[in-house]
Amino acid sequence: MQEKILVEDQIRRNKRQTIYVCGLMALLFIAVILAIGYIFSGNIIVSLIFALPIALGYIAVTYSISVSAVLSAAKARPANPQIREEKLLIYRVEEMAIAAGLPIPKVYVQDSEYINAFATGRDPKEGVICVTTGALRKLNQEELEGVIAHEMSHIKNYDIRLATITIAVVGAIALMSEILFYSLFWGGAGRGRKGEGNLILLALAILFVILAPIFARLTYLAISRRREYLADSTGAYLTRNPEGLAKALEKIKQDHPKEKPKGSKTVAPLYISNPFKRIDASSLSSTHPPIDERIRRLRSM
Amino acid sequence: MDPIWWILIIIVILVVFFLIIFFGYYNRIIRLENRIDNSWAQIDVQLKRRADLIPNLMETVKGYMKHEREVLENVTKARSALMSAKSPQENINADNMLTGALKTLFAVAENYPDLKANQNFLNLQDELTNTENKIAYSRQHFNDSVLVYNNLVETIPGKWFAGFMNKKTREMLQIPEAAREVPKVKF
Repeated sequence: MQEKILVEDQIRRNKRQTIYVCGLMALLFIAVILAIGYIFSGNIIVSLIFALPIALGYIAVTYSISVSAVLSAAKARPANPQIREEKLLIYRVEEMAIAAGLPIPKVYVQDSEYINAFATGRDPKEGVICVTTGALRKLNQEELEGVIAHEMSHIKNYDIRLATITIAVVGAIALMSEILFYSLFWGGAGRGRKGEGNLILLALAILFVILAPIFARLTYLAISRRREYLADSTGAYLTRNPEGLAKALEKIKQDHPKEKPKGSKTVAPLYISNPFKRIDASSLSSTHPPIDERIRRLRSM
Repeated sequence: MDPIWWILIIIVILVVFFLIIFFGYYNRIIRLENRIDNSWAQIDVQLKRRADLIPNLMETVKGYMKHEREVLENVTKARSALMSAKSPQENINADNMLTGALKTLFAVAENYPDLKANQNFLNLQDELTNTENKIAYSRQHFNDSVLVYNNLVETIPGKWFAGFMNKKTREMLQIPEAAREVPKVKF
């Protein structure tokens, strides 16, 4: 007999862990901005005048175009109520929205053999749930309900906003790192700081900024995995039926169509299971936790 | 500075502190109450929708199910009980009756291949299942909301503020044993 964990406790623990990881991300971002300023001029003011606006501008643009970018990358189309399968999908989404106490999200369909689904929209008012035609065909209503509950939970927990912001921050850190890299290449860095000592600190700062995107990406993946568990448990709480999603995940595990996966790799974390990685190995570089562990946790509820 | 000033400052800080907490609890209690009322409104909308669908269903089924008078009568009876229900609990009880009657009707419909092939019947069946699930989930959301509200107004210090605002605990909707199962969507 496995130990039963209260769904509410799982939800609380996941939320707490997300806060820690987000804090780490914020620290990393601030450190990179300060380090850039130090490298270029030895002066923190410079980083506030130049690096910070560029980084924040980048984040704002990424954030504002995210929803349409995600939908067009997935080649998603609105669900057609004339087709029974898609009508039933709309019905299941309406039901789950009521269970979650949220406005009814828009329903999209992605033509793909794979069983998959994702949610987007930065806040519950503009939520979108997209399910593949493969999922509509291969999952029964109970399993489909589990998958929709998982996506609804991403919306309810503001995961989409979190994912969008963290993707943007990771991008901004990468941008900073690239700027530094190219300016080192063209010999621009350090020009303003002639005569100042402490080369070791300078070298460390440069090394840090160059390695920062890797740290940022790992931190981001850690957040993403946390949120998957959280969406699984919130979803189980909504349907009061963890078995539905557990069965759906089992089907996803067995599902190996020949077709190539579609969509954009950047948005892989938004899917219920990573469309680009069929073997769910547990590692630091996964967007999702291993599928077996997810099934085990669902069945222990 | 005079010690009297210090005392005054401390009193002002305490009053402000208390007011902030009071406003916080006041707003939370009102917000949760609104959530409960809103969840009930949701249930009510779905119950009405469901009652509206029944005459259509009867019209469609009548031609095929000539020998199933009792089954059809039970559905009609449950519908009128739903229409005349007053309190939330009466509504829910009538709705459960209707769910049972419809379950029998759809089971009996299995014996009528012509009816099962009728597009109108299929659509109505899908839509009735949809409203049934919506009712079940909004009932769940209602009870969840009541639980959160009751927890707030029954624990300290929420209890004190609720007493001051003259707010009492709310009743959850009782769900009879038979209907307690998770709504299983069926084809």
